[in-house]
Amino acid sequence: MTTIVVAEDDKLISNSLCEALKTAGYNPVPAYDGEEAVAKCKEAVPNLVLLDIMMPKLDGISVLWELKANPSTANLPVIVLTNIGDVETISKIVEAGAVDYLLKSDQSVDDIIQKVKDVLARNVRLA
Amino acid sequence: MILNILLIIDFVMLAVVLIGYIFTSMRERKFLRQEANQSLELQQKVYQAQVLKEINDRIGYSLDTAKIIDIITSSLGSLLDYDTVSYMLLHDDGSVLFKCHVERTVNHEFIRQVKDKMLQSFAAILDSDVRPQKLDESITGNILNDSLNVSVASFFNLPVVISGRLVGMINVASAAKGRYGEEQASILYTITNQAATAVSKLQTVLENEKGKLSAVIYSLTDGVIMVDTANRLMVYNPAVKTMLGVSGERALSMFDIVDGLAGKVDIRTKMEQAAAEDKPILINEVYLKDKALELTVSPVKISTGERLGVSVLFHDVTTEKTLEKTRQEFTAMMVHELRAPLTAVRWSSESLLKNMAAAAAGVDTAKVKDTAVTIETASNNMLELVNDLLDVAKIEAGKFELNMQMYDLVEVVKDQVKAFTPQAEAKHLALNVAAPDKFMVKFDRVRISQVMGNLISNAIKYTDSGEITVNVAADADKKAETVGVKDSGIGVSHEDLGQLFSKFKQLQSGDRSRKGTGLGLVVSKGIIEAHNGKIWAESAGENLGTTFYFSLPIA
Repeated sequence: MTTIVVAEDDKLISNSLCEALKTAGYNPVPAYDGEEAVAKCKEAVPNLVLLDIMMPKLDGISVLWELKANPSTANLPVIVLTNIGDVETISKIVEAGAVDYLLKSDQSVDDIIQKVKDVLARNVRLA
Repeated sequence: MILNILLIIDFVMLAVVLIGYIFTSMRERKFLRQEANQSLELQQKVYQAQVLKEINDRIGYSLDTAKIIDIITSSLGSLLDYDTVSYMLLHDDGSVLFKCHVERTVNHEFIRQVKDKMLQSFAAILDSDVRPQKLDESITGNILNDSLNVSVASFFNLPVVISGRLVGMINVASAAKGRYGEEQASILYTITNQAATAVSKLQTVLENEKGKLSAVIYSLTDGVIMVDTANRLMVYNPAVKTMLGVSGERALSMFDIVDGLAGKVDIRTKMEQAAAEDKPILINEVYLKDKALELTVSPVKISTGERLGVSVLFHDVTTEKTLEKTRQEFTAMMVHELRAPLTAVRWSSESLLKNMAAAAAGVDTAKVKDTAVTIETASNNMLELVNDLLDVAKIEAGKFELNMQMYDLVEVVKDQVKAFTPQAEAKHLALNVAAPDKFMVKFDRVRISQVMGNLISNAIKYTDSGEITVNVAADADKKAETVGVKDSGIGVSHEDLGQLFSKFKQLQSGDRSRKGTGLGLVVSKGIIEAHNGKIWAESAGENLGTTFYFSLPIA
């Protein structure tokens, strides 16, 4: 089963996202802060990460760098899901190696699921 | 004999009557003569007064000495008899203006003599020779005829002194001898003196006004400079020196200004542009040192339209800019805070609908319930946020109404502690109460519950381990009841303590991970103050825990 780490500190958003992923046939693994996200990525060996930026303990950008620094997670595709849409943050996200970023409030669950499917398919092809 | 005596008596009586008559008529004649003299004098005075009034009217509020003397000399014809009337004005730059009106034809020599006599008089008064570097001469009136054999036979000079300073001289000259006595001189003296006094007064008024204006400019917090048409710095105030970083007694120069603004604004070009276009130019956001300035470059003109130069106003908009930035940050934060629950609602309802569509396969009721709970919680969060915003608006508008009754404060506190116990337990925090059994105070139950809820939920949010203790006690003077909510959380730095209860402040701290608008504390402050109570926070510092207190007055 395709495992997806959902790094999101807002429990409500995490819940609704996990629900949707389950319904779409994925195996979501929630992480509620940055440190937990890094740990879950090592532990659960996911196929993809959905990552929030504003999180306690370790913010999303730092999580991206941590993942990059570790060989076992360096090639993990990460989609950033955030509500911070300023150019500065976006350029940081891209620089830190996220494959894509989505503005939470602009997206429907279907959009996110579609994006997950696309990224996974692309990754499979690349692999 | 008797007849003789009678005749003598008769004669004497006649003589007495006659003498009496002569005496009376002499007295009458003398009286009549006096009266005639007086009426002539009166007539003359009235006439002088009229001329003076006319002169005054024509001078108006002018301070132009040449114009004033021109008016005086051109009015003299009706009062004095002369061949020429002239005036000389000494200018600051050493030049001399000579103007002569020829009433009756004279020759060039006559004019030269008049000039000489005036210069001599100047020299006598000033006790030094007046050798004009430049003499502007203007002769008006009748033509000059050098074939005439005339010279100045009688004349008088009248110095014009304004505000204690000799500014000019008026000369009246005639080819006839003995034309001018004291009387004629005194007429001209009266007129000139009164005009000079009026001008002196006007100058004093203007000096005073100028003094006031200077004081205003000096004390302005905005910087002001003014340059003349040759780009020379005429006016500046201390504020502009401070803004440009020019310290001490050193005078400000145009170089300081151009140099200080270099790389930000080409002030010279802007000044030229303002003068050329004859309208003010606004320059936004000029950053000088740590200040944000707004510059207004305006052409300066007097009422007649004559251009005096250009002024530049340096208005400090740092506070406005900071406020604007905080407001923007606050709005961004509010949008973020509202978007989070909205996103949760949207995604959850989408999932729900999907489940329903696939209902043929049987609805997973547990899943539907979970989703519905998410939607409910998100909606509640959002409602709470919107309510907080509305409360803040009410507090700011001063439209906060309370329903004051006698209640047991301890009961209200315990109710809230009970309500938050599950949340505290979820974070493994102990939530304790130390309070007497009962304490009756007058307050709005709903609002004080709201404050308690805000303080306890904050304590839970900002504490990762340890305990939270709620304490209720009467003050030592029994005048107020104080509630304290003490946590062992992240604490507050000394500088931030005072700002905790102000709007727009929450996310200023570096830790953005603990979400929250900070509006809860703003609302709590509004509620407590509406109760005439006090709310404050104490903390030993960062990571040393915080205690929030509020006190309600007893009775």
